[in-house]
Amino acid sequence: MTKPITRRTFVSGAAAAAAAAAVAPHLGCANFLKKGRAVRGGVREVATACEVCPNKCAVIAVVEDGVIRKLNPNPLSPKSQGMLCARGNAAVKAVYDPDRVKQPLIRAGRRGEGRWRAVSWDEAWDFSARKLAAIKDAHGPQGVMWSSTEGFQEEFFKNLGLAFGSPNILRHPTLCLASVNLAYSMTFGTVPSFDLRNANYVIISGANRFESIITPDTMDLVESTMNRKTRLVYLDPRFTVTASKADEWYPIKPGTDMAFILAMLHVIVGEGRYDKEFVSEFCYGFERLQSHVQRYTPEWAGAETEIPARNIVRIAREFSDAAPRAVYYAGRRSSWYSNDFQMRRAQAILNAVVGNWDREGGMVPNSKIALGELLYLPWDEPAAPRVDELETRFPLAAKGDGVFIQARENVLAGKPYPVKGWMVYKQDPMSALPDRGRTQAMLEQMDFVGVIDTQMSDTAWFADVVLPESTYLERLDPLHMLPGIWPVVTLRQQVIKPIHDTKPNLEIVQGLAKRLGLSDYFDYTIEQWVEAQANELPVPEPLAYLKKHGVYAPPDAPFYGTTRKPGHRFLTKTGKIELYSDRLAEARHDPLPAYEPPVQPPPGAFRMILGRKATHTHANNTNNVWLHEFAPVNDLWIHPEPASRFGIATGDVVEVRSDAGVVTLKARVTQEIRPDCVFMLHGFGKKSRMQHLAYNVGACDADLLTSSMDRVSGNAAFHETFVRVRRLAEAAHA
Amino acid sequence: MDHIHWGLLIVSYLFLGGISAGLFFISGLATYLQETGSPIYPRIARVGAMLAPWPISLGSLLLVFDLGRWYRFYKLFTTFTWHSPMSIGAWFLLLFTVVALAYFWAWLPGDLVARAAASVPRRLRFLRILDWPGREGLRRRLAAVGFPLSLGVGIYTGVLLGAVQSRPFWNTNLVAQIFLFSALSTGCATAILALCLGGTALDSRGARLLYGVDISLILLEFFLVVPYVIHGELSPLAAQQALRLILGGPFTFAFWGLFVGLGLLAPLLLELWEIRPLLLDRGEFHASRILAAVTALLVIFGGFVLRYVFVFAGQMTSFE
Amino acid sequence: MRERLGLKKKRWVIVLDTRKCIDCKACVVACKAENGVPIGQFRNWINGETGGDYPRLFASFEPEQCHHCERPSCVRVCPTGASYRRSDGLVLVDADDCIGCGYCIIACPYNARYFNRETRVVDKCTMCAHRVDEGKLPACVETCPTKVRVFGDLEDPKGAPRTLLSTHRYEVKKKQTGNDPHLFYLL
Repeated sequence: MTKPITRRTFVSGAAAAAAAAAVAPHLGCANFLKKGRAVRGGVREVATACEVCPNKCAVIAVVEDGVIRKLNPNPLSPKSQGMLCARGNAAVKAVYDPDRVKQPLIRAGRRGEGRWRAVSWDEAWDFSARKLAAIKDAHGPQGVMWSSTEGFQEEFFKNLGLAFGSPNILRHPTLCLASVNLAYSMTFGTVPSFDLRNANYVIISGANRFESIITPDTMDLVESTMNRKTRLVYLDPRFTVTASKADEWYPIKPGTDMAFILAMLHVIVGEGRYDKEFVSEFCYGFERLQSHVQRYTPEWAGAETEIPARNIVRIAREFSDAAPRAVYYAGRRSSWYSNDFQMRRAQAILNAVVGNWDREGGMVPNSKIALGELLYLPWDEPAAPRVDELETRFPLAAKGDGVFIQARENVLAGKPYPVKGWMVYKQDPMSALPDRGRTQAMLEQMDFVGVIDTQMSDTAWFADVVLPESTYLERLDPLHMLPGIWPVVTLRQQVIKPIHDTKPNLEIVQGLAKRLGLSDYFDYTIEQWVEAQANELPVPEPLAYLKKHGVYAPPDAPFYGTTRKPGHRFLTKTGKIELYSDRLAEARHDPLPAYEPPVQPPPGAFRMILGRKATHTHANNTNNVWLHEFAPVNDLWIHPEPASRFGIATGDVVEVRSDAGVVTLKARVTQEIRPDCVFMLHGFGKKSRMQHLAYNVGACDADLLTSSMDRVSGNAAFHETFVRVRRLAEAAHA
Repeated sequence: MDHIHWGLLIVSYLFLGGISAGLFFISGLATYLQETGSPIYPRIARVGAMLAPWPISLGSLLLVFDLGRWYRFYKLFTTFTWHSPMSIGAWFLLLFTVVALAYFWAWLPGDLVARAAASVPRRLRFLRILDWPGREGLRRRLAAVGFPLSLGVGIYTGVLLGAVQSRPFWNTNLVAQIFLFSALSTGCATAILALCLGGTALDSRGARLLYGVDISLILLEFFLVVPYVIHGELSPLAAQQALRLILGGPFTFAFWGLFVGLGLLAPLLLELWEIRPLLLDRGEFHASRILAAVTALLVIFGGFVLRYVFVFAGQMTSFE
Repeated sequence: MRERLGLKKKRWVIVLDTRKCIDCKACVVACKAENGVPIGQFRNWINGETGGDYPRLFASFEPEQCHHCERPSCVRVCPTGASYRRSDGLVLVDADDCIGCGYCIIACPYNARYFNRETRVVDKCTMCAHRVDEGKLPACVETCPTKVRVFGDLEDPKGAPRTLLSTHRYEVKKKQTGNDPHLFYLL
């Protein structure tokens, strides 16, 4: 039976309701209106591998309504260790960059004028193949140079060059790390990894691990120096982020690291602090080393390096006490001086004699994971010799990589034979090579330049054809094995379909191959390739596993001690670790590193040194809007003392002049650099107007860099450029 | 992170709101001061009442358009957040404007209203209610109701700033009073200005009231500004650093030269000069229209500069 | 008893070991990507400090963002209640209720808020509430190469924040506001 609603109950009920409404979730505030929340649309997560820098970190892409929203770290990779750096995060903006090359382009005006015709793939391929074939007819296949930078799909491009018959396959190592790799190879027969995570004492020359690039070594070094008490000694003419975290930083005189190392060897060998058992069992040439280092006293080194001798002695003793968990870090970019190879050899020798080889906390040869291979038709060896005369000039250098600067100089000179065609993949030689004027001259004397890239780099800007590759988030790539102490196999799978009329490199190569009569060498799909690679992995349904997890990491890593067995034969001539190298002697190089003082800048001039920043991969992403926010322009670092002598204040426009060229940019007066050096960040002052954020902004270091090479490896030497600085205009006041 | 978020629109609103509050204040005061059943200063009362609603209405409009989403301004009135000076202020603003408009209506000249009511078209007949006979009687009551609201409007503009702990330039207990007295003073000055522009000479009684009120207010402002500065110098570092902005910093001239000098000292001296016959008990007091107008303009200008300096300087301070 | 029933309120905090911060900007970009922050505006940032006399120099870096205070100035001044504090400690802005008056931006002692050019309301770090509610880490915490930030529930006696704060000296920024912020910087 229902009770009639009396006035009293109605009023009290209404009051109660009003009170309830008034007591809203928002404390201290009566909110009469309440909102609901929109529900998020369909979300997909795809595991893949980053491509913004060479580290290939494992990434999980989050796709919402067909658009990539975010890239998250994939925690399963022991390499990237559950992190993703600024560059990796910013890759989203590279995919959706309005400046991207959206379809094949053929040059319509003069080289570098920037007038393009948008064409179909067929037309682009036809045109390119015709031009390449014409050059082959006139000059032989060696008349076309094929240069590329590492990447999961690089192999297809390289193979096209090889199938084409050209010996002139050029890669990036002689612009980067050829000297350090060769030095360690010649000593140990292989290039090892450094177990920074477990080391107790680390010495680093210049490798700015906490700033220039975030790599597994960065994370490992943080772990050991900040979570344990690993000691870090860091030598660099610049006060970098790594310098700020190091226990000891020395603004070492540029180019004298070898003196430091030789003096350390003097102390360690002279005082018997080396690992005697290890040296006698595994090393060759110790006695000759012993007598060689006698003259390299700490006092002498102190004068050379401007590091106090007593510190060198102390560091040498501490280093050897901490051994075998002590490493002298090899570094990565070793494109410094023309005797860089020998300096890295000295490092390798130092590492060897303290016995840190192949053990925890030391240098460890890389373990690998076997991948399957798709068999394809092999091609003949190229008939002609290389244009860079590698076999005679740099016989010890890696043949598959070539010597880039030598190649350029020879091509410009037209000897030993003319090279009139240039195919470029995933590379920007205009930015990467020293002396940009000469690179541009080389481009201009080509009959045909074809560039495969995702963006209109400066090199592409001067090309005849730009063949746009899909970004890494839009393609399936071959599996890649990352060797190391914790090796990993990583998959890069397609996250979204290409948003523009672009293609993955393999398809671009296949299009060219078809028209060059080389289809037989590329008669497979990427899926077949990947499938063949995956099948060797020791997991059930390996491809499905990789598609789900993104990486495969062997459960029994880390791998130590695989070569520390009695009678183990190293991949060297003597079968041992070569402190003294007969091969070097035979090639008429110093078999033991002999010190030469570096050439000094003339009075009033500065040495220009280079370096990198965590937000920029070389010249590749200065156009990325999210990264541009942190470094929209570069400036010239100069120490206050010379700055005041030249009347330069921060913000002033200065002119910087070298034997190669002249640039203008603003100055930044800072104590964070030696008084005899200046520095500018790489990747600015671009010529490509399709890189709006970097076009004509700041200065291009390549305009100033003079070309010199390491004598043994042919690696570029980028720190031997001397510049004069002059104030042009006062800083504008806001 | 160092942006100025509140700019000229806010400064203008605070300025205009202060004027309206002051106008209502002086008008209300004039309404209440009665002899034999009618106001002593009817002209002051009327001019205050006529003008009071308009500056604040304009100011409110500026305020609304300063919002990120101006059309959401109504949300200020769907809630009452007692701990937010802006919420309280918004309600004060609303109520004050309503009362000021009613007060305006109450003070409209009778014959004007009668003629307007007569000429209203048939369809809008209901508007004739506005010619309500009890209108004049409401004046005192509306003044009484509006008085606290006007003080509320005058004070809350200072509390708005003063309650912000993270801005040491504002976060003193004096800023609310500085703003209140400045509001009353600028309102008073506006009344003076309006009367001067109105054409008729100020009767000496009315002038004496206005000058007396204004001089008192200016003196009170001095007694607030000087302690504000002294106390700030004796406060922790953050407050001292904040004061740098007016003691050698970019706002020094604006504060001392324009606000204190032109906005307080000059009108004070001019007004004292004008009333010197009363002070020295010698001679007749005649309020010169031109001088009165100039004085009023200086006070009004000073009030604007005060708010400008406070709003901008305050946002440039923080504590480390 | 309340703990057993899972009724104890959470208090989400971040503990920062700024020795590890290398100013790589990963957290800033990750936040931007995760939360659609407009160009030129930031929900988090790195404070850098350098000095010394060559060659004895120092440099240090520390990340900062909204401190999600226990007694937030921003919530106190918000006239519409759009800025509010969730029971788990996160200070958020209801974008539907915000009128963009900017009072909270001025009131925040840490300058953590900004007027979002695109949505035209006030914005700031939400500690990735949408991720936290799904049991994930905020983007800045997850992406950091050196793991500067440790995120967790301060009320959890076994949680990382409580462990770190029990065993280290730490400070909060601008303690004198009395806001009781939830970003703890290890010393």
